Amino acid sequence: MAEIATFEKALWGLSVLLKWGLLGLLIYRKHYRTFPFFFTYVLLTAVQSPVLFASYRMWGFASVTSGNVAWGTQCLVIAARGLAVAEICRRIIGMYRGIWALASRLLLATAGLVLLYSWAVARPHWQAAVLNCDRGLELAIAGVLVMVFLFARHYEIEVEQTVRYLAVGLFLYSCFSVVNNSVLERWMWDYALLWNLFRTLAFVASLLLWGWALRAQQPETAALPGMLPDSTYRALAPELNLRLKALNEQLGKSWYAEARKH
Amino acid sequence: MSLFFYLFFGFVGLFLLLFGWSMRKAERGKTPADADVLGEYGRGHVAHLPQIRQALAKTDFVYLSQKAPSALARRVRQERRRVALAFLSAVREDFQSLLRLAKIIAVLSPEVAAVQEFERLRLTVKFIWRHELIRMQLRAGLAPIPRLGALSDFVSSMSVRMETAMKELGERAALAAELASSFHGGGRDTA
Repeated sequence: MAEIATFEKALWGLSVLLKWGLLGLLIYRKHYRTFPFFFTYVLLTAVQSPVLFASYRMWGFASVTSGNVAWGTQCLVIAARGLAVAEICRRIIGMYRGIWALASRLLLATAGLVLLYSWAVARPHWQAAVLNCDRGLELAIAGVLVMVFLFARHYEIEVEQTVRYLAVGLFLYSCFSVVNNSVLERWMWDYALLWNLFRTLAFVASLLLWGWALRAQQPETAALPGMLPDSTYRALAPELNLRLKALNEQLGKSWYAEARKH
Repeated sequence: MSLFFYLFFGFVGLFLLLFGWSMRKAERGKTPADADVLGEYGRGHVAHLPQIRQALAKTDFVYLSQKAPSALARRVRQERRRVALAFLSAVREDFQSLLRLAKIIAVLSPEVAAVQEFERLRLTVKFIWRHELIRMQLRAGLAPIPRLGALSDFVSSMSVRMETAMKELGERAALAAELASSFHGGGRDTA
């Protein structure tokens, strides 16, 4: 246990260093212009560390006040995280107005459904409420990121390398948080020390990935592709679907008709 | 409680799989932003359909099996199967060309209809399923070699109609796709 505590302290120190380093990189490379919400998120996580440190010094690690400060700042961080994810989604498909309108509705629906599910199956206990809320949001974030990348793949939209790495960092951390929080909810205090350690480890990995992704300068806004007139889609989309349907039917007919004869 | 507890792990596993799959680079080749895709439809495979139909003609095979030794007939049967498989892939390519065209139009349109997009997704899944089923049956030798005349006629006629539709669409689509193509510059990957 003592070794874990020492290792955790060292890891915590490393994560603080990396957070401030990433923040410095974001400022130095002027990424705050390209990714303002992601910048806000990193800023909040960087500020969270000294705030927590001060509160633990003042009220002690196990005090209720420290707990409130920790979860309160975590609420802010996770809200900023949600906005950063929305920013990533917009960066990937936002410039294609038509499918963005469709995708944004789908992404909101995904997030809503996942949150609803998480809330419905959560343990009805006030102590676990914040933890459940955190898990629900992380699962929603993971779900939204999956959806946006599925969308991008379906429409063969190219994703910038930097955005891809940022998304991977956010996604893996969210997935890990869901697993970690679920285990904590089940075994509560027995797992608390390891829970914190794993969480910090996962976050350090994400920070390294983001640092790697943001090492170069980014174009502020992506160029907008030329759009077709409204009428083109209205005229051709149903026609193309009809033809795809007909091709489908023909494939079935040609095959099965022949197969029946034999 | 226990089921829900494991369901969270299930969700995470599913998300990881889907995310990994969606991050994989798409087949190298055309993206919807490639302008030449617009002009591509109607050329290529369908031009060779009369020869394929001839190769699959039942009368030829019946004649051969009566006159030639059984080893030769077996070899011809294998060849016919190979031709049928090649034709099936060609039909798939035609389907994908149409699909690619539909995607370009959707991506470059300021407004899209969810109904049309989901319908296309449904049709794609259905086609892939049907295509794979037939292909596996053909490969395993479990299915008879089909008479694909009706299908080839259909594909030919569709390609002509699509060419006409593309002319109607005009140069504007190609221009927009070219703009998008130039936008998708180097250093990016296809999701």
